[in-house]
Amino acid sequence: MGLLSILRKLKSAPDQEVRILLLGLDNAGKTTLLKQLASEDISHITPTQGFNIKSVQSQGFKLNVWDIGGQRKIRPYWRNYFENTDVLIYVIDSADRKRFEETGQELAELLDEEKLSGVPVLIFANKQDLLTAAPASEIAEGLNLHTIRDRVWQIQSCSALTGEGVQDGMNWVCKNVNAKKK
Amino acid sequence: MLLYIWQYLYSNYFRFWLKWFLRQIDGKCELQRICDGSKDGARRTHKIEYSLEHSKSKVLRCAVDIDEKEVDLYVANIVQEKKINVEKDKRFQINLRICLLQISGYKKLFLEVESVRKQPYDSDNPQHEQQLLELWDLLMPHEKLKSRITKQWGDIGFQGDDPKTDFRGMGFLGLANLLYFSRNYTEESRLLLSHSNHPKLGYSYAIVGINLTEMAYSLLKSGALKSHFYNMVPGFPEIKCFHQFFCYLLYEFDKFWLKEEPESIMHFNQYREKFHDQIKHLLSDPDVILTL
Repeated sequence: MGLLSILRKLKSAPDQEVRILLLGLDNAGKTTLLKQLASEDISHITPTQGFNIKSVQSQGFKLNVWDIGGQRKIRPYWRNYFENTDVLIYVIDSADRKRFEETGQELAELLDEEKLSGVPVLIFANKQDLLTAAPASEIAEGLNLHTIRDRVWQIQSCSALTGEGVQDGMNWVCKNVNAKKK
Repeated sequence: MLLYIWQYLYSNYFRFWLKWFLRQIDGKCELQRICDGSKDGARRTHKIEYSLEHSKSKVLRCAVDIDEKEVDLYVANIVQEKKINVEKDKRFQINLRICLLQISGYKKLFLEVESVRKQPYDSDNPQHEQQLLELWDLLMPHEKLKSRITKQWGDIGFQGDDPKTDFRGMGFLGLANLLYFSRNYTEESRLLLSHSNHPKLGYSYAIVGINLTEMAYSLLKSGALKSHFYNMVPGFPEIKCFHQFFCYLLYEFDKFWLKEEPESIMHFNQYREKFHDQIKHLLSDPDVILTL
């Protein structure tokens, strides 16, 4: 293969587009995470009405990340965004122990959704910068994550505020983009 | 490119000589000519601001960011520095004084707004809590809160059972704005709340209010509100002027939302952008004043 054809090939290989769905309860930190991924200012965030979408280039992928508001009132709309999802990212406020049950229930319902069957799921145990945050292992146990058998999954502790752990999670996402079980 | 070179030459050389030439003709400095040649408000204050910022004199350059009580001193210093004959031009000092108050006042207003924003909503602060409860009472006069943590907060458009997590990046400013609207435009705020509970065109009243606080804040920060304030307040603007602008935004957004008839709340950001563009367009008019 000549140099020219290598160059041509490099140029013509477009980034694979990946559809990522970012879900979780209100105040879990989804929008902060989205802005952190896009290297944007995170100091003026307000609760999400509807959704935000951003595209981020990473490791040869074009990640189209859909951040959907987590307010109870708009959770019924989540299903409108399930179609063609490559990876589900579920965000948990690790310091909000009072709502672990609620967030576990929402996650369980998502994993039962037909349109999301087999879709790899990354769980971000967010807000680890807070002293009161539960460690990822405790959350994994509380949510019975080890019983998930129909898809690849991972739990990653992170702080969307400081950025710690976010890249590790996204590396996992890029590795498992094509791991959807049919 | 040519335009760029022209702008460079103009601001660095030609402007200076042009000003010198005009001064020889009518014996007035640029600041005087601006005051004579433009009507008061944004048209004049913008030009004075530009002239001061681009002055070769340090006294003039510093005059755009001063305390309210320093204004008279700076007016006197400028008169001296530019050798202005105040006997011949009696209006000049009065006009310059207003401009200086407006220019520095805008910057101070931003700092004040910023300090309220940076104050997080704190449920251990009795003052914060009391104001949150006052917001409820003003919006829902016929219904009492059953407890501090309750699903009822959803009725005025907070997300969950405790509003404290909804203020986020806007901090106490979000509550201050909503409360100002309800205190001063009680009927209007109840009307908007009833619109927000519309089965099809509904939205979350409090959350949208916090979101529009962000819009008002970023417009202030970018300088986009200068013309509005320069036209409205002939002096140092107080924080209530910012709250007033928020009231305008919220009231107008409600009208806009109902007129556009969006499919659902999920399209909020798309309509917010459209509304934002309309507001920015209105604010680009030098004669703008946006009030309820």
